[in-house]
Amino acid sequence: MTAAVEHTTVANELFARFGEPPFTLQSTADEIPTLWVGKEKAVEVLHYLKTGVAKPYRMLYDLTAVDERSRQRREGQPDSDFTLVYHLLSFDRNEDIRIKVPLKGDRPSAPTLTGVWESANWYEREVFDMFGVAFDGHPHLQRILMPRSWKGHPLRKEHPARATEMGIFELPEEKQNEEQALLQFNPEEYGMARQSDQTDFMFLNLGPQHPGTHGIIRIILQLHGEEIVDAVLDIGYHHRGAEKMAERQSWHTFIPYTDRVDYLGGVMNNLAYLLTVEKLAGIRVPERAQVIRVMLCEFFRLANHLLWLGTFGQDLGQMSPVFYTFIDRERVFDIVSAICGDRMHPNWFRIGGVAQDLPNGWDGLVREFVDSFPKRLNEYDSLVMKNRIIKARCIGIGCYTREEAVEWGVTGPGLRACGMEWDFRKKRPYSGYDRFDFDIPVGRNGDCYDRSVVRVEEMRQSVRIIKQCLDNMPPGDYKSDHPLATPPRKEKTMQDIETLITHFLSVTWGPVIPHGECFHGIEAVRGSNGYYLISDNDVSAYRARIRTPSFPHAQMIPYISRGHSVADLLAIIASVDYVLADIDR
Amino acid sequence: MSDYNLSLFYLLIYSTTVVILVAGMIILSYLLGGRHREPATGEPYESGILSTGSARLRFSAQFYVIAMFFVIFDLETVFLVSWAISVRETGWGGFAVILVFLAFLLSVLVYEWRIGAFDYAVSGREILKSIRKAKGI
Amino acid sequence: MTVMGLVVIAGVLAAVISCAAFLVWFERRLLAFFQERYGPNRVGPFGVFQVVADIIKLFFKEDWVPPFSDRAVFVIAPVFVVASVLMSFAVISFAPGICAADLDVGLLFFLAMSSLGVYSIVLGGWASNNKYSLLGALRGAAQMITYEVFMGISLMGVVIMADSFNLKKIVEAQEHLWFCVPQFLGFAIFFIAGVAEARRIPFDLPEAESELVAGYHSEFSSMKFGMFFLGEYLGVTLISSLIVVFFFGGWLGPAFLPPIAWFLIKTFFFIIVFILMRGSLPRPRYDQLMGYGWKVLLPLALLNLFVTGAVVLVWQN
Repeated sequence: MTAAVEHTTVANELFARFGEPPFTLQSTADEIPTLWVGKEKAVEVLHYLKTGVAKPYRMLYDLTAVDERSRQRREGQPDSDFTLVYHLLSFDRNEDIRIKVPLKGDRPSAPTLTGVWESANWYEREVFDMFGVAFDGHPHLQRILMPRSWKGHPLRKEHPARATEMGIFELPEEKQNEEQALLQFNPEEYGMARQSDQTDFMFLNLGPQHPGTHGIIRIILQLHGEEIVDAVLDIGYHHRGAEKMAERQSWHTFIPYTDRVDYLGGVMNNLAYLLTVEKLAGIRVPERAQVIRVMLCEFFRLANHLLWLGTFGQDLGQMSPVFYTFIDRERVFDIVSAICGDRMHPNWFRIGGVAQDLPNGWDGLVREFVDSFPKRLNEYDSLVMKNRIIKARCIGIGCYTREEAVEWGVTGPGLRACGMEWDFRKKRPYSGYDRFDFDIPVGRNGDCYDRSVVRVEEMRQSVRIIKQCLDNMPPGDYKSDHPLATPPRKEKTMQDIETLITHFLSVTWGPVIPHGECFHGIEAVRGSNGYYLISDNDVSAYRARIRTPSFPHAQMIPYISRGHSVADLLAIIASVDYVLADIDR
Repeated sequence: MSDYNLSLFYLLIYSTTVVILVAGMIILSYLLGGRHREPATGEPYESGILSTGSARLRFSAQFYVIAMFFVIFDLETVFLVSWAISVRETGWGGFAVILVFLAFLLSVLVYEWRIGAFDYAVSGREILKSIRKAKGI
Repeated sequence: MTVMGLVVIAGVLAAVISCAAFLVWFERRLLAFFQERYGPNRVGPFGVFQVVADIIKLFFKEDWVPPFSDRAVFVIAPVFVVASVLMSFAVISFAPGICAADLDVGLLFFLAMSSLGVYSIVLGGWASNNKYSLLGALRGAAQMITYEVFMGISLMGVVIMADSFNLKKIVEAQEHLWFCVPQFLGFAIFFIAGVAEARRIPFDLPEAESELVAGYHSEFSSMKFGMFFLGEYLGVTLISSLIVVFFFGGWLGPAFLPPIAWFLIKTFFFIIVFILMRGSLPRPRYDQLMGYGWKVLLPLALLNLFVTGAVVLVWQN
């Protein structure tokens, strides 16, 4: 099976249905079939891909836009000022498809996709917020990440990227009051009633400053007694504009920013970004570097799931587990810092490999950990997951079916909890995961309990993978000697002027990644994290789209918490396991 | 003073001391504490956001039902208490009477149970069952 | 006689309050021990003076009465919580002769006082005029009045066996056999209801930090918050002492230790159980807690009462 064959397959299916003229084909570095189609036909085509084709593309994996106005290298692409990019995923085919919709004008608009996919709602709001593209027929087209008072649309090229370009920031009292007033919730805006004939509904702001929300997010609850009638999520408090920063950082200097996207995932973020860059640049990573990367990523999976397990207990009122799991998380970080020199955000992977070779004695540290940890994990398992109160609190709470999960764009443990055996490490092996022996834990009911059980089991599998890394660490280079790898190799720089100049440029400006487009997704700690990068043959990305798992997961929270109580909401939040920085970027 | 009055007298002294002690603590902290005034000082805490609607609202009837149960059962406890102290005096006759009384209580309990008055929310396991049923698993 | 009585009153109050204060430190240290960490260890030897530092801090914090609150009620609520628990200690016989007010209706007096405790939660939560407080107060009211019922009924078995409401007589009635054996069911129910009354984990729903921030006392600051805090630890001490009085023979024990020592040892044992529970159990949901009470504890308490009455009557004949 080659990509080209599949490519023609889906394209032919579309041609057969809609005829060839509306489409323009584009080739990309990631070999995902990419078709351009006009906005009049777009929704119809997407709807057909979701429901009409054999082995349909059930998941709206990502939806974003590109400001094309200052892009130089776009040979063969239809004329466009703003391009909408729809990224669909078919589980039956194990294939993606990218549909692009060109839009013209300064304030373009496009028909909404919310009637086709539930998950399109937030994605379209984000595109509106970031690019000013309006979606006709969208039920609630409001800013989502930026404050309502914001002027301009940040990801448009004319919007300043640095604070220094924007004048001094001031927050006098009047402005503060205005902002506060804008944050006040207005039920009518969402078509919510303030009272029923029997009772008044309580509108409760859970967050942004609340101990149970795991960060600054606001969940506005419409309560009848303690029962949640409806909920609205207000996100964006953690928005730092990571995608905008990618447009001004060099390919190399953007790596530390990725660490902070899912700040509990550490180097796992580096990997998603670098796999995309490497694919774009055509760099082959040496085997040793791949295994080192896998090992570190699994350590971060452990660190994340340990933190999750502790806070999961904490959210359900159990006080102790968080202290136990933090002790083990510290032990993970001891190893991580021994190898990388830093704990949570090691910023350790590099284009073409990793920053350094493994230190002497790393194997002793790792071995000691993998030998002692499983026993402790079993203890936590019986302390938390086997506790009867926890079971009573979690089983049957916050359920969603496999179909609902796919509809809402759920990936990772949340998807596996409803019985779908889908893990990108297995289905689309990257960084040599196909050479490792591990299982995909799956749940059955898709409730809070199964989501949690899956995570605990994933820790066991991570330990298995780490053990295999330890036993089979291949010799060789820790970094590729490809000329675009960073930092560039220094050995020959002192011997001829050409290499010296290349080295100098590569270090000061950073490498110039050849123009093109590429996406790569990985199985990150809480779902599928992927980077969609566009290079315009420059030292930094023309557009960097970060597809994070928490965004669609958070979007689903109101849907699965309706009818449950406030206490259940906490169980749901804990089991969905989002990270605010991962939602807002 | 009789023993009884004496212990009441002690109780009076004790309660006076308690009240003085507690009031003293409140007053002391009032005198010692700092004062400050900022823009948001006068607003109720609601995660840092201005409230929508007040906390004075008509509330779900569910909570009044609990209060009713309490009235029913706690008042009937009064009879149980008076029986408990006189079990030996009232003998089997008293026992029979209280048995009838208990039967009433239990029937009330069973009735309330049956009409679902104690099911304040659907349990997760029930939800799972109904989902499985709907999917035909 | 009177002087001795006054000394006892002063002694009981001083001992109870310092015990509650000590508990704050003790619990933090013990939890830290369970949780593989240090706990407070800076102020004084082993950090014992941490509490003193905390109390001084609380006194100097801003004593804030929210302008949007029901001011008078807001001030009274914390007074209620401490006063009602402290009053209950008046009737406890710590040892022969050590009892502030040896009332014949001691047990009823305790039940009455613990009912008053509900008010502090409801009034505090309502007066705060804060949504989180309101939810906490509603949970608290429902939980506490519900468990009030079982608590009363669970003690009736003890009353039948001792044939008295007087706490001293109840202890003396256990000379041959502690009531925890014949009244095991009563003990279990009383213990659970006691945890609910003291609003301790796993029954800390009215506070439920991760859900309701601090529940009914979200808006309280300074010593008013301190009162709720103190009330909780006084409550733990009270329930532990009462368990000892009703079911574990009070001050009774082998003669090599004075009676009061036995009382303290037993009480501390139960205090540690309380702390251990806090260190290990999660929090059930509100409806589960209520359902458990009405559907399990109430029938069991009634059964216990009925069986005890029958057995006592058979025994008598």
